[in-house]
Amino acid sequence: MKLNLSKLSPKQLLEIDACTRCGECLNTCPVYSQRVEEGINPRGKIQAMKKFIRAQYGLWAKILGPKKLDEGSIKKFSEMVYRCTLCGECGIDCPVSIDSKDLWLGLREVLIEMGHYPEGTDILKKNVLTEYNITGQPNEERAEWLEALDDLPEHKYQKDKAEVVYFVGCVSSYYPMVHKIPQSLVKILDKAKVDFTLLGGSEWCCGFPLIGAGMKKEIEGLIQHNIEKVKETGAHSVVFACPSCYHTWHEAYETDFHLFHATQYLLKMIKEGKIQFKEEKIKVTYHDPCDLGRASGVYQAPRDILRAMPGVEFIEMADNREHCKCCGGGGNLEMVDPELSAALAKEKIKQIQATGADWVVTACQQCIRTIMTTSRRTKIPVKALYITELILRQMK
Amino acid sequence: MGKHLIFYIMFIPSMILFIWGMWFRISLYLQGKIKGVEEISPGKKFIILLRKGWRGFWARPGWYIKVLIIDVIFHKKLFGQSFYRWFTHTLLVFGFIATFIVDMIKGFTTGYLVEWSHTIPALSFVHAFETGSIRPFLDFFLEFFSFLILVGCVLAIIRRFILRPNQLRTEEEDITALTYILFLELSGFFIEGYRIAHPEVVASRIYLANFTPASANNWLSFGGYFLSQFLRGIRINADFLWYFHVLPSLIWFVYIPHSKLLHIFTSSVTVFADRSKQ
Repeated sequence: MKLNLSKLSPKQLLEIDACTRCGECLNTCPVYSQRVEEGINPRGKIQAMKKFIRAQYGLWAKILGPKKLDEGSIKKFSEMVYRCTLCGECGIDCPVSIDSKDLWLGLREVLIEMGHYPEGTDILKKNVLTEYNITGQPNEERAEWLEALDDLPEHKYQKDKAEVVYFVGCVSSYYPMVHKIPQSLVKILDKAKVDFTLLGGSEWCCGFPLIGAGMKKEIEGLIQHNIEKVKETGAHSVVFACPSCYHTWHEAYETDFHLFHATQYLLKMIKEGKIQFKEEKIKVTYHDPCDLGRASGVYQAPRDILRAMPGVEFIEMADNREHCKCCGGGGNLEMVDPELSAALAKEKIKQIQATGADWVVTACQQCIRTIMTTSRRTKIPVKALYITELILRQMK
Repeated sequence: MGKHLIFYIMFIPSMILFIWGMWFRISLYLQGKIKGVEEISPGKKFIILLRKGWRGFWARPGWYIKVLIIDVIFHKKLFGQSFYRWFTHTLLVFGFIATFIVDMIKGFTTGYLVEWSHTIPALSFVHAFETGSIRPFLDFFLEFFSFLILVGCVLAIIRRFILRPNQLRTEEEDITALTYILFLELSGFFIEGYRIAHPEVVASRIYLANFTPASANNWLSFGGYFLSQFLRGIRINADFLWYFHVLPSLIWFVYIPHSKLLHIFTSSVTVFADRSKQ
């Protein structure tokens, strides 16, 4: 079995050599803090890959011929690479600025080609490419969360033409625990008289779960479809409540649409006076979702929203913004190792509790799910709100 | 055979091997795929990337120079993480760069310009570098910057082998890199000290440095001068000493592309790539 280096870019191959094994990443990796194993931390993954490359392409390999890679080592390596939430904090602190998250995605692509990947990945791929969502349920059921809304207009927010498309995302569409997110956002947009539409059953998965699994090349059809459907509405803007969808559209979709995360769009509306708040005292802290914060650079918008609400006392967590600790919900880790994902969530809950806040507010449905699921299972009380739920509560 | 000739007979192959080693590494990176480009040869990929880098540089050269100084040489990010590590790293990096620059100035002026000044009177000013007012500064700064490398190396050794923070994991290449730097530093000071202690070494032009007239102020080369106090009564074959320092110095270059020290080049690229995204 030969490593196919063309799955990585020249920059990524150079980054593997640039790692000086300083170990700074060990201090930040949330997975390593739970599973203290060299192979699982960023340094360990890079050095393992370096060994494989040297065995097949290094100086001795050139002289004596490439060494055959041991199946057991590759399997172990795969287990380590997929036990990562892709939070990206390692890259923030890396002294030589390795773009580690991008590198992990590249390594996953290498492993997919070698046939070494987690069991659930094939099912995920089938669900996304045949049913166009991560659950495998009929895609026509995407907008069923609307049924719980009172005073649903006749068009059920699915119009032929609109200025703005609200791209809901798979998690908010199919997981009842977070139905309140799209429900609250459509109520806000409706109250503020925004001309928006949903794509309903025409919305397909953005492709991020496949990118995260290492199958980026499979998402081209999804991209083309989604862009086409938005174009058909005549919309110039697309709003996302899901940071992963937002980030994926920014990075992988080539479009002229104005792309907004919900926090950015709602802040704009607050500044324009379209959303006004009553005063109600509440103590909150904010959890920066990895795909919104570190990956997309959106830190200030949600904070400005919280600060715009009179009566809201905002307390930062000890680790915040680019150093905010991952909740454990990303990178398909929940599918690969639910226990490890839960362990990260427990640590997150401790940080939340340490602030003394009544609520943790966040801007990611997956973070809400991860935190609340762990809270219920471990019986550690914590109350989590998506920011649109808080806005709706505090709105006049 | 003159020392100059011997030196170039060793220097040229080591540079060829260094360049070959660097190309070997680069050709490995060129096995990667460039986004948006169909499958092409590594040579063509190299040209594409070189052109991209060249255009990128000339689009904003001031920014690149600023990043080179602040983020690469003076490593601003590391400064924010750990003063000890930053100080150690800066001593090594700055020490090497500064020593190299001063050595090149000294070598070029005293080795070449002085010769040429015999036929080109306009170059007569270079005698200041050889025997005039500039020479003491060259001698002192060469010594000082080399000493910075030594201090940096010692601090790195202390951290890795005595302080031993949990995040560090020592492997063979760490030990090799540090002991190699230490050896080059100590052997360099040693042979300088021996030269100062034994004027006959200078007279017989055994070292390349002896082609420059002896300094009137040996104490400016304070490291070698200190050691010379202990070396007056010791007799070692000076030729052997010269090879003892020069050969490993040249092998050092050959070693770089195959060692941890490759990060000198690779991490500079990753830092530039990261800053250009911001």
